[in-house]
Amino acid sequence: MAQCGGGDVSRHRKGHLETVESLCQGLLDDVMLDDDKCRAMFGYLQEWQQDMGSNMCYGSLGEPPLVPEPSNGSGSSGGFRKRRPEDAKGESSSVCKRQRGKQQQQGQERAKAVGARKKAEAASPKDSPATSASTVTAGQKTDYIHVRARRGQATDSHSLAERVRRERISERMRYLQELVPGCNKVTGKAGMLDEIINYVQSLQKQVEFLSMKIAASNPVVNFNIVEDLFGRQLSQAACNPATLPAMTLPMGQVEPSCLQMSPLQQMQTSAGSSGFGLEMVVSNPYSPAPAGPMSVPAGASVEPCLNVNGAAGWDIGSHSLFSGFDASFQSVQSDCLLDNLKMEM
Amino acid sequence: MSSRRSSRGSISEEEINELISKLQSLLPNSRRRGSSQASTTKLLKETCNYIKSLHREVDDLSDRLSDLMSTMDHNSPGAEIIRSILRS
Repeated sequence: MAQCGGGDVSRHRKGHLETVESLCQGLLDDVMLDDDKCRAMFGYLQEWQQDMGSNMCYGSLGEPPLVPEPSNGSGSSGGFRKRRPEDAKGESSSVCKRQRGKQQQQGQERAKAVGARKKAEAASPKDSPATSASTVTAGQKTDYIHVRARRGQATDSHSLAERVRRERISERMRYLQELVPGCNKVTGKAGMLDEIINYVQSLQKQVEFLSMKIAASNPVVNFNIVEDLFGRQLSQAACNPATLPAMTLPMGQVEPSCLQMSPLQQMQTSAGSSGFGLEMVVSNPYSPAPAGPMSVPAGASVEPCLNVNGAAGWDIGSHSLFSGFDASFQSVQSDCLLDNLKMEM
Repeated sequence: MSSRRSSRGSISEEEINELISKLQSLLPNSRRRGSSQASTTKLLKETCNYIKSLHREVDDLSDRLSDLMSTMDHNSPGAEIIRSILRS
């Protein structure tokens, strides 16, 4: 089946392809697709396939009227694509056999690793043309790892595999040596491993320290302090700014309860509107009817935030937590606000 | 020759096994995996990748920290707090 590359067969196929092309051209010329022509073409194609004794073009030729031009190129290349890994495999294994024979004949110390051959075989059956081409070339490059067996060393497969393994390990170690500073002064694997372990540990500590710093110096720093004060109740929520939207949701649900405390608010507006928003939110957890799922730690976290950090900390928190709500309280006049509250009641 | 090598090799082999298991315990995704002996190459490869990722993380974090420090107002109470935290 496989030898399509032979001269007479390809010529044969070329002639067939020309016939197919002319048939397809005829098909394309008609605006309406003729059933007879279609059937004739597919019958011819089937015959041709049986002639060739292969199923290589089946996939692309099976599609009805779109066949024409693609059948030319992609059919043949598809067949080529299908065949290619086998060719490559056969080639590589033959190369390997040759290599073995050479070794046994001439007593050379060049041997072929079993693992390398396995890898090449595993890598070859890819089906996309580009990757198959690249793996074929790469497989031919890395196909045989040269393991030198010195005189008197064993050449059986186990020893060879072990040697390949040790080779790989030392290669990795060399790579790690480049990666770890100060590792090239140390000789010996144990020292190097020690150095690598120390380096990894120091890197881990560095990352931990840096992330702690970042978490501490985030704009949400107020919540970190709150977190410390409240026994890390908010440990997940306060650490990064990405969770701020999540925080706004439960706080937004508090809003109705704020609006329900109208007697208190009226009292406060009569007393004066300076610091109104602050007072209101502070009194928020003590609302008579906490309607809705108001989370206690969230409410409690705002409160000490006010007490501890003062106005600067409060501004960050309030603008992000009460989106627009508190800002309107601070900007709008108190009587207008009272009207709004009444309307909402 | 071979006996001398093997005796010396066995000691360092033990040491190396110990070190390798220690190294494996440092890697983040190594706890779920049981066997260590079969895959020293894999372990070393993972170590390479882990060191690279740690490098990246350190770079990223220091960039973020420097950004934060540069954008921060030096007189704000927040900066005061951060400085006190960083000093500690």
